[in-house]
Amino acid sequence: MPLFGKSQKGPAEVVKALKEAVNALEKGDKKVEKAQEDVSKNLVLIKNMLYGTSESEPQTDIIVAQLAQELYNSNLLLLLIQNLNRIDFEGKKDVAQVFNNILRRQIGTRSPTVEYICTKPEILFTLMSGYEHQEIALNCGTMLRECARYEALAKIMLYSDDFYNFFRYVEVSTFDIASDAFSTFKELLTRHKILCAEFLEANYDKVFNYYQRLLNSENYVTRRQSLKLLGELLLDRHNFSVMTRYISNPENLKLMMNMLKERSRNIQFEAFHVFKVFVANPNKPKPILDILLRNQEKLVDFLMKFHTDRAEDEQFNDEKAYLIRQIKELKPLPGH
Amino acid sequence: MSENIYAVNPVEKDIEADTEERELANRIFSVESDDGLKPINAAENAEIWLNDGHGTDDLDGIDDDLETVNIGNFFHRVDSDQIIYQTKKKRLKLIGKYVMGDLLGEGAYGKVKEMLDSETLCRRAVKIFKEKKLRRIPNGEQNVQKEISLLRKLSHKNVIHLIDEFRDPEKQKLYLILEFCVGSLQGLLDSAPGKKLPAQQAHVYFGQLLDGLEYLHGARVVHKDIKPGNLLLTMEQVLKISDFGVAESIDFFAKDDTCYIGQGSPAFQPPEIANGADSFPGFKVDIWSCGVTLYNIMTGKYPFEGDNIYRLFENIGRGDFEIPDDIQDPLRDLLLGMLRKDPLERFSLQQIRQHPWLTRKPPPSEYTVRIPPLKNDELHNMTVLPYLIDHYYGPGTCYDEDGNVTYEEPEYFTERELNAAEESRKQLAEQFNGSSQANRSSNSKRGKKKRPISCMTVRTLPMCKPS
Repeated sequence: MPLFGKSQKGPAEVVKALKEAVNALEKGDKKVEKAQEDVSKNLVLIKNMLYGTSESEPQTDIIVAQLAQELYNSNLLLLLIQNLNRIDFEGKKDVAQVFNNILRRQIGTRSPTVEYICTKPEILFTLMSGYEHQEIALNCGTMLRECARYEALAKIMLYSDDFYNFFRYVEVSTFDIASDAFSTFKELLTRHKILCAEFLEANYDKVFNYYQRLLNSENYVTRRQSLKLLGELLLDRHNFSVMTRYISNPENLKLMMNMLKERSRNIQFEAFHVFKVFVANPNKPKPILDILLRNQEKLVDFLMKFHTDRAEDEQFNDEKAYLIRQIKELKPLPGH
Repeated sequence: MSENIYAVNPVEKDIEADTEERELANRIFSVESDDGLKPINAAENAEIWLNDGHGTDDLDGIDDDLETVNIGNFFHRVDSDQIIYQTKKKRLKLIGKYVMGDLLGEGAYGKVKEMLDSETLCRRAVKIFKEKKLRRIPNGEQNVQKEISLLRKLSHKNVIHLIDEFRDPEKQKLYLILEFCVGSLQGLLDSAPGKKLPAQQAHVYFGQLLDGLEYLHGARVVHKDIKPGNLLLTMEQVLKISDFGVAESIDFFAKDDTCYIGQGSPAFQPPEIANGADSFPGFKVDIWSCGVTLYNIMTGKYPFEGDNIYRLFENIGRGDFEIPDDIQDPLRDLLLGMLRKDPLERFSLQQIRQHPWLTRKPPPSEYTVRIPPLKNDELHNMTVLPYLIDHYYGPGTCYDEDGNVTYEEPEYFTERELNAAEESRKQLAEQFNGSSQANRSSNSKRGKKKRPISCMTVRTLPMCKPS
């Protein structure tokens, strides 16, 4: 113990002190200010144990292991997240930093915090509902994306009912929150290819039902971003069977044809990349073929004039020429 | 060197000269390095540049121009002790909005040089293809076109990014502007003790290789030529998968990833290709090559070797290999899984990702292998800068350590001094990570070209070493 200055508290004491302070904050009695101060102070202590400061190195592995163990046993992580909106501005950021650091901790091949959160999925659900609260949404976002890097945690989130709240979050009127929610949403749907493909296959109807709403959103950014992500999902080979299912539904084709005619050129362009898959499909189901045949001439005309100023984009022009040729050569199925 | 030199345009030169030699000028007669070759009155202004950068480009035009030139202007009898060399002037050269820098490397199709985007001030690399050379390579032009159209589609942190491309119809050259990388994994290995990397460093690179490969396979691209030489590294230690010359794009609606042609580097080919199978699952080819790559960077050896390609393919075809004893589980198990003879049993990317060797944090290593220096420059400073200084402040301008502009008289050397400098430089290079040039010398074999020029022996003055 150092002779001068503050005596150093061990992990157990800091965690205990922090928990008491957060509890006091939650109760919201007279001593709120004092509790607020204690929370901030103890959070800084924990953060410094993990990251070190300009003067001191991070604590040894043993101390960090003790700290992690105390955090699990005391359930403090959940408590902190539940009360995140009551903690001051700097404190919120410290919570996110502490959480992310503890999450990344490894022992051999194990990630103990990931295992812990798997047994306490409320942590994830509380974080996801953080998007409902403006003042903590972005802090929750950084923690959620850190969680999404782990397949086990991503799986819990994807397969939960709360996942469908994202379709609402990505459309909220506060732009920074909507964007943050969208990047988490995208991370969940693209990070772990096999997991995502299985999820989309198993929940195809529900997911694409919700997804349709995004594509029809009033919000330009939502429409454009979700259309772009749809293209990425369908064009990724991991999602082959999802793609084949998507392109056999005539409703989807109609939607894309309408989007080709959107006012925004960017949306037109993104829609083109989904539309081309419908046309290129060598085994078009009859309803799809019927729509294309009915609009054969109009489509050829339309594509001839479509984004003609992209002369330098060879790939786009090749694809466009290919589509025009394909549509021109379309013939009704024999027997009609 | 005792007899007189018939100094001739340095039309053939060893590639080594490109990469490590200081610019030398043979003060006999003069050629404007940047403006092509002009007949020059030797008496008036006598210098010739043996360039590392621009020289060979421009001199390629020589055999066409030669007939129209008065040959007499080119031949002078000079005693070797009269030859004085001068450091080369760095003449600014702009291609579009890009400022040309020094040579970074050389391949079968052409050169790679550093460039600076004069609008964004981003460092870039340019791959220069000579159409004349391409035509001589079977499928050369198609392969390049295929590579360009593939690269255009791809966009991922661990896949080399094609930024710009254009052609110069007059010079018959094709320029691909790419992200700037400081070296390849192969270059790193060549300079590393035991030609292998410490576990921690290998772990970082291999993880990135998997990320890039997962993206490629998702985009239906089979690379077919994964090997340390095709894995580039940026200044920030980000790995970039490059060289899509033999890559294949799987049809969008294909049910599986069946491929029919294998044309990567022999030592990295899987048994199904070595045994000449008619068709094989494409993605598993890349898994195998990744396995050989991992084996290589962790042991410094190759799982399969052979005196010639037949022996090599025989060995690969049998599929039996040994892993050095010091490689323990889980790495051993991972290598065995990636190098399974039957492609169907071979690990999938998913299996590799979830393998304990990847999920576990590797033990900290005592050292990290650094990217070997380019021309003694460990910091890999931008090589475009001297050209800019020359252009804006005039020849002979230098920067001292404090960034102040100083002027220096052009330096002159005699051959003896050069030899001594060369020797000491070599020793220095060896001290730094061992032999750093091995990678380049392997390239140089391909890069050598024959320039038939009648009746004269073409002298090579690459390192200015005594012959």
